[in-house]
Amino acid sequence: MNSIEIQYFAVLRERAGIGRETVQTSAATAGELYDELAARHDFGLPRAMLRVAVNDEFAEWSRPLAAGDRVVFIPPVAGG
Amino acid sequence: MQTFAFSTVPLEPGRYREALAEPTAGGYASFEGWVRDHNEGRAVRRLEYEAFETLAVKEGERIVAEAVRRFGVTRAACVHRVGALGIGELAVWVGVSAAHRGEAFAACRYIIDEVKHRVPIWKKEHYADGDSGWVNCERCAAVADGRHVHAAEHPLAAAHRHDRIDQAASGGVPPLPPPDYSRQIALPEVGIAGQAKLAAASVLVVGAGGLGVPVLQYLAAAGVGRLGIVDGDVVEASNLHRQPLYGPADVGQPKAEVAARRLQALNPAVRVDVHAERAEASNVDALVAGYDLVMECTDNFRTKFLVNDAVLRACKPAVFASVHQYEGQLQVYRPLPHWPCLRCLWPEAPRDGLVGNCAEAGVLGPVPATLGAMQAMQALKRLLGLDAGETPALVIVDLLGVETRRLAAQRHPGCDHERPGTTPAAEEPGDAMPAELELDFETLAEAFESGLELVDIRESWERAHDPPGLQIPTHLPLSELVHGRAEFPAEGRYLIICAHGVRSLSLTEHLRSLGHPGVYSLRGGLAALKS
Repeated sequence: MNSIEIQYFAVLRERAGIGRETVQTSAATAGELYDELAARHDFGLPRAMLRVAVNDEFAEWSRPLAAGDRVVFIPPVAGG
Repeated sequence: MQTFAFSTVPLEPGRYREALAEPTAGGYASFEGWVRDHNEGRAVRRLEYEAFETLAVKEGERIVAEAVRRFGVTRAACVHRVGALGIGELAVWVGVSAAHRGEAFAACRYIIDEVKHRVPIWKKEHYADGDSGWVNCERCAAVADGRHVHAAEHPLAAAHRHDRIDQAASGGVPPLPPPDYSRQIALPEVGIAGQAKLAAASVLVVGAGGLGVPVLQYLAAAGVGRLGIVDGDVVEASNLHRQPLYGPADVGQPKAEVAARRLQALNPAVRVDVHAERAEASNVDALVAGYDLVMECTDNFRTKFLVNDAVLRACKPAVFASVHQYEGQLQVYRPLPHWPCLRCLWPEAPRDGLVGNCAEAGVLGPVPATLGAMQAMQALKRLLGLDAGETPALVIVDLLGVETRRLAAQRHPGCDHERPGTTPAAEEPGDAMPAELELDFETLAEAFESGLELVDIRESWERAHDPPGLQIPTHLPLSELVHGRAEFPAEGRYLIICAHGVRSLSLTEHLRSLGHPGVYSLRGGLAALKS
């Protein structure tokens, strides 16, 4: 189990009802972590519509996770 | 004696000098400004001076008082001529008496410099070739003399455009002076040369809404030489809380035109081009071609990606921003081989309305204002060349948590910058022929008669304000469809309707891509209907 620090933005923040949380997870990749959290928070948005950043850099969904990683999920926004 | 005055008759330095005499004074220094026969390489026949007198006298008196206090001189005064003057005539006189010559010279120099800088006085030059023009710019003379930079690069050159001059001449009112840029010129990275770069630059601003307003205001105020405004909308009452460039009296007026008028008043030296139209595939390349830098300030993905592809084709830099409730995203594009574009970050080009929409999500004014100000700052950085060594990133701003995050970004290997928009996502069938996705109707009655079933996809609270006779019976809120709580009928022919035609077009595209052939979007939404 890794401890991962997570930050949500835009619609994900609304759906989760929180801006950030720290989770204990066995997810091996950023993608697995998203699927786990999507189920818990009922995100409803497919991965293909989002981007993930790990430790302040955009990453692929296959990116392996390590304890202490900071993960940010970012939906695109279009308001102006 | 008044310490600052205007005179409509020839100046009499001898008389003014007497008023400065005082037993404690050990000397007197004076400066006289004369009308010379040339300016910026043109032969000048005569001059006319005009001043905004009430304001000018107050400011002039303030300057003289500052000089007396700052340099500890005995007495000081300044008299400026107004009206018509011939070559060699005295235009301005400054006199200072003081215990010692050092303070007298320094105070005299201070007064003339500050008067030239701060007092609203306009000079109309009548040239030997019969032409004439209003000039208000002490720095012009400095520049023309070669003391700072070449005249062609002069930061205030835009103030001398003929359209300005003609307009002022025909109205009989001298043009207002451009802003005093001294506070930004004072930055070592800006300076006179940087100001000249801004004056020579042109920026296209796509969208004059929550983001576009601060972008336009700050770029105009900073003295960017030419601004283009692309916006096909009219001002709506619901815009005002976050777009304070507009007021209630502007509701119903074309945004681009109102914005242009306001910017012109803000900085008369800036040229503003009005493009009162939406950016579309048919016009975007021509729009982008006319400018050095593009600011993407619209509220929909469709236009954002349209602009992205156009700047890639044109090899122009661009600054993108978007907001959602209390957050915003900022991305700078530079036409460099390694630099990611909008599609590199979002290979699956998002569809409007499917991941949170501004009208339905709500927004507080300072959120787009902050992001717009950040966009303006990125634009100035680019124009001034202050972005050397910067690496590509998406910057996320959270105004609730008051935090920014800079996420390093890279080019997406599948994104073809040579043929922008040809990523797999963009080749989905829904993106192919936008013209056939949208239908035009003048009234709701006409739409009812078309044989299509009308489907209102607005949220319930949006429908609450509809007049009773204009309710659309079939209601499928987009939020319900997106979250799977409602399904769009698989069979039949439908006209999908929302407030402005953005969400409906997006849903239409989505349904078509799923193989639903009978769906259309009402172009421009309810806002485009006549009744």
